[in-house]
Amino acid sequence: MSLLASLRSVVSTLLRRRRNENDLDEELRAHVQNRADDLERSGLTRHEAERRARIEFGAHQKFKEECREALGGHLIQVLLQDTRYALRILGRTPLITAVALLSLALGIGANTAIFSLIDTVMLRLLPVRQPEELVQILRNDPSRAVSATASFTNPLWEQVRDHQEVFSGTFAWSDSQFNLAQGGAVRYVSGIYASGDFFNTLGVRPAAGRLFSDVDDQRGCPATTVLSYGFWQEHFGGEPSAIGSTLPLNNHTFQVIGVSAPGFYGVDVGRKFDVAVPVCAASFFDGKESRLDHRSWWWLSIMGRIKPGLSTEQLKARLAVLAPQVFAAAVPQDWDVNGQQRFRKRTLVAVPAATGTSYMRKEFSQPLYILMSVVGLVLLIACANIASLMLARAAARRKEFAVRKALGASRPRLIRQLLTECLLLSTAGALLGVLYARWGTALLVRYISTASNKVFLDLSLDWRILGFTAAVAVLTGLLFGILPALRSTRVSLTSAMKGGSQCQGSERRGRFRPGKWIVASQVALSLVLLVASGLFLHSFFKLVTLDLGFDRRDVLLVNANLKSAELPPARQNLVFDDIESRLAAIPGVVAVGRSVRTPVSNFEWNQHIQADSPDAPKGDDALVFFNFISPGYFPTLRTPLLEGRNFDSRDTESSVRVVIVNQTFVRKFFPHSPALGQFVRTDDSPGKRAPAIQIVGIVRDSKYESLREESYSQAFFPASQIPEAADAENFELRAERIPSDLISAIQDASRQVNKGISLDFHSLAAQVDDSLVQDRLLATLSTFFGGLALLLAMIGLYGALSYLVTMRRAEFGVRMALGAKPASILSLVMKDVAVVLGGGVIAGALISLLTVRFLQKMLFGLTAHDPVTMVAAIGLLSAAAFLAGYLPARRAMRVDPMVALRYE
Amino acid sequence: MPSQAQILPGTLDLLILKAVSLGPLHGYGVLLRIEQISQGALLVEQGALYPALFRLVRQGLLKASWGTSENNRRAKFYELTSAGRKRLRQEADGWNRLAAAIASALSTQPEEV
Repeated sequence: MSLLASLRSVVSTLLRRRRNENDLDEELRAHVQNRADDLERSGLTRHEAERRARIEFGAHQKFKEECREALGGHLIQVLLQDTRYALRILGRTPLITAVALLSLALGIGANTAIFSLIDTVMLRLLPVRQPEELVQILRNDPSRAVSATASFTNPLWEQVRDHQEVFSGTFAWSDSQFNLAQGGAVRYVSGIYASGDFFNTLGVRPAAGRLFSDVDDQRGCPATTVLSYGFWQEHFGGEPSAIGSTLPLNNHTFQVIGVSAPGFYGVDVGRKFDVAVPVCAASFFDGKESRLDHRSWWWLSIMGRIKPGLSTEQLKARLAVLAPQVFAAAVPQDWDVNGQQRFRKRTLVAVPAATGTSYMRKEFSQPLYILMSVVGLVLLIACANIASLMLARAAARRKEFAVRKALGASRPRLIRQLLTECLLLSTAGALLGVLYARWGTALLVRYISTASNKVFLDLSLDWRILGFTAAVAVLTGLLFGILPALRSTRVSLTSAMKGGSQCQGSERRGRFRPGKWIVASQVALSLVLLVASGLFLHSFFKLVTLDLGFDRRDVLLVNANLKSAELPPARQNLVFDDIESRLAAIPGVVAVGRSVRTPVSNFEWNQHIQADSPDAPKGDDALVFFNFISPGYFPTLRTPLLEGRNFDSRDTESSVRVVIVNQTFVRKFFPHSPALGQFVRTDDSPGKRAPAIQIVGIVRDSKYESLREESYSQAFFPASQIPEAADAENFELRAERIPSDLISAIQDASRQVNKGISLDFHSLAAQVDDSLVQDRLLATLSTFFGGLALLLAMIGLYGALSYLVTMRRAEFGVRMALGAKPASILSLVMKDVAVVLGGGVIAGALISLLTVRFLQKMLFGLTAHDPVTMVAAIGLLSAAAFLAGYLPARRAMRVDPMVALRYE
Repeated sequence: MPSQAQILPGTLDLLILKAVSLGPLHGYGVLLRIEQISQGALLVEQGALYPALFRLVRQGLLKASWGTSENNRRAKFYELTSAGRKRLRQEADGWNRLAAAIASALSTQPEEV
């Protein structure tokens, strides 16, 4: 039957319903009348005849129901009837319904929120033409045991582009950010370098103007740019006149040629592009050594669209043939012979890229899976709560079920009715939950977004998220509905009808048993969550209170870029010196330092160091992490100088090369002899002997790029002796209090030196915090959900005990009438609490011990089996449980024997 | 009154078809007809008749129409469709074969084994 036809039949059945109902009544009535006529003829009075006829007919309602069933179209009627009835029942206990709905919305919403992040980051296909044909090309070095890497040089990319024959299209791209401001405070937009075939190969269409083609991406190309749809709306108000207008990027004028289609954010999941420029535009921003010809500047990623019909095996074989040719043509000439040989032997690998690429997959997949399990547990606990609510309510409805059964309702019919109620609840909860998840997901994305790493995710709902939520809703409904439905419909007619609301002695204890099980499992699951959140919190606390080797408080970082000021390299150091002394003169500034890199930033500079020491390490152990600093650096960051002297005006470009090293450096290079005054040197560059550098000072160890690192060997060199002038350097300003006009004072000072200097501001504390995104995410969310779980378990225990106390009120009354003291009643109830709690805690502790090792990788400074955390979690849970149990127990204690007995 | 037997499950449909095949009947009439043709030996639970009738109508074996009964009451009359007639023949054959087989089995004497 076609969909339309079956729909029509359903509708007509529903319309016919009333007539059918009347017909049925009339037919059955006629039967009884006919029978009564016959009986009357046999000598009975009319009244007696009708009575007998009705008795002979049997269970009138039951047969009517069977007739309706035989009539067909029945299921939908039943469903509507059940729904109507369920709404009425739910509306009768608004408080319970609201509590159930709220916990469901919270539980399902949290699950949907985390799942939509997993979906968006890991599962969703790129919104481009036939994404399953896309592969990313990686390079592999067979001589090293490291996984394949994604970055390529431009000469390599040009080789791949010009010589491959396995792809119907290839493209290269690179993430970047461009400064819209011309001097002064920076205004970054996120950008990509895109090769000529980028949009074409992906199958992205223009929303206005045109997109790049091959001719836009050739050496010496004009400065053109394509905007994303969002940026066009935001920055140009969606005006068509934007096409043909100009945009300054890093102080260079670009002409807008088009806008890409809405919904396309690039191929990197987790970020979006505002502007795209052709790869060839890199030459505008580089000095004399452009990255277009640089053979060891790894900055491009490559993707291709496989020709239809080409198998994975064929692709592999063709890439194996292509690789030697590609690498041979782009060997870096300045590498040593060995290095060059290894370079030639590199291979190309293709991996599926239908979902795009993302750094987030590596960084966040584990936290996301952990959070998914956490919210799954929370939902289970919420389910358990609702199940006990339903159980208690069903017990109160025993009489109703008995009456309905007596009137001919079958048990499956009653079960269906109860399940309808539950599914109605869970569906409503899911709808609310989706709304709350939308908000929650956006909040989470903002939470993991940092100043240096803005996360953008396309959070639109897709069928996968909706399907997930629907499945969760149905499963939850069945989960909390099935046990109460099965139990409560197993009523014996006679006992329910005569027994009143209080039940008979034999049933009393049995009735609390499933409730006990449910509460004990809630306690167990809550303990697991509390242990996990305790671990994350403990680990996070260790991280934030860690001694970093510098004082992060009250330090403002100012990144000053001279690029657009267009100064000769020889003058750059003088300009930085000039700015530094002007910044020091700003009122409120306590100390100023300057450095090429700032602590705990992504920028890394390391080289091998040789020392004339018998114990000097070789190979990777000799790798030292560099920084170039002004004399003000250590005092400003409050890193103590342990031995020797700080840099000063004696250390100039032409004086003896000097270095200050940290404790780890000394431990590694000079374990047995004094380091101060010794000479070290870097590896020689081809044809040039590296100069000797004298160690003049030793400082305390400090963190270099991450709080989790073991201490690195570090070497600090005077900024005046930097081998190659840097375009951008950083100033560290320590201010007693951050005055509101500090930033404008800094801008003024910099403008007085040169109007073209771009400035970017961060605080050191925020920079350190931003490196802890994952840890903070896990600690905050798991604590939130752990607290939620605890609350739910308390509500569950409270509810179950209240129910128990109500049930046993008469018993308590009798006990007290016979002389029991309130305290013994209290201990009677609290014994129940202790049993449930004990069972739950033992089970929960066992589950925790078995599962926490999966968390080990995310923890810092403690083992997953940390006993302190376990004991604290058990203590907290027990305290909460006794609190939740005490309130109903106190009520039991105050039972007035007379009232209780009279009620019975 | 002769001794009465509960009808076997599944045979109610067959009896209804047979009863209706002798002429259109309303529900109560079906009941009386079954009593009559079984000489009162088969007892039909009155209410159970109707779900069975509805089911047979839905299966297309019977068709129902409203008319007036012999005592001037509005009544729903059931009659056999051609599909119903065919089904009656099949079911009756099946039943007779089964009854004959069981009868023959039960009448077996020791010396015949």
